[in-house]
Amino acid sequence: MYWNSKDMSVFLEQQEYIDTAVVPLLLVDGQASKLKQNASSVEFIMALTAFIENQFKGRVVLIPPVTYTQRTNREQLGTEWDEMLKEAGFKHLFFISSDMRWGTESSSLDVIYTPSIPLEHMDKKLRQSVLDDQLRQIIPVFAKRWANSTK
Amino acid sequence: MSNNRVSRRQFLNYTLTGVGGFMAAGMLMPMVRFAIDPVLQKSEGGDFVPTDKKVAELTEVPVRVDFSYEQTDAWYVHDVTSFAWVYKEGDRIVALSPVCKHLGCTVSWAGSPDYPDQFFCPCHAGRYLKNGDNVQGTPPLGPLDEFEVQVKDGLLQIGKTRPNTLV
Repeated sequence: MYWNSKDMSVFLEQQEYIDTAVVPLLLVDGQASKLKQNASSVEFIMALTAFIENQFKGRVVLIPPVTYTQRTNREQLGTEWDEMLKEAGFKHLFFISSDMRWGTESSSLDVIYTPSIPLEHMDKKLRQSVLDDQLRQIIPVFAKRWANSTK
Repeated sequence: MSNNRVSRRQFLNYTLTGVGGFMAAGMLMPMVRFAIDPVLQKSEGGDFVPTDKKVAELTEVPVRVDFSYEQTDAWYVHDVTSFAWVYKEGDRIVALSPVCKHLGCTVSWAGSPDYPDQFFCPCHAGRYLKNGDNVQGTPPLGPLDEFEVQVKDGLLQIGKTRPNTLV
């Protein structure tokens, strides 16, 4: 499901089935030296999360990307989103980012870190297969967390 | 011929009828056009999309066949990549849509080790038999949709979806 009115009306009816939020965490960095690389990784996470949405459409809601800058207090940002989404009724939260700092810091957030792969020079087919491979690595992570909760 | 002269009256009659005819046509054309508009509508998505799957390679085990087509979302045209689960049943080629009838997740063949000969939806453990029929007691309420298929030059082409005809 996407965060749009059509999907949200399904969400409200089927809330018992749709219990997972996927949140892309995107660092936006406008420094000239990092701009291109940053844009490429944003592009990658957006594409990857759209793929995840397509695979798990009936159980996850893809939250609009959470963007932040180098100066943002990430701890606070994470807590805010975490609390808000739990209050909204989501049992599972998957934060996905290619910003390594989420993993290294002692953050209360459980962020799935995925290295960014530059997609811009790939043709459509290669892009598709690269994203498919990434998705295949993420599926078990999802399955495991879902399985843990039902036991 | 030369003595068959056109009188002033005749000339004016012809001219007025001609001009009047054009004007009437100009008014009637759009009306008729509106009236029969549904007939003129191009049917979108009715065409077959080529894939690069050789029909000779198909077996009784469903395989994933990717295809992509253009989709227009209001003003935004983009390529959509999708796929079908394709297998052979006797001489018939069956292409099933991977979209779960429950809430639209993507199902996979043999996706669960416990059910190696069924389609499995990872979201809510929905299951379908090989012909797309939903397994009773799992969340899906209907069978998987089916794609129309045709073969051209030995390659598979995928068309519109339609309700499952195998069940």
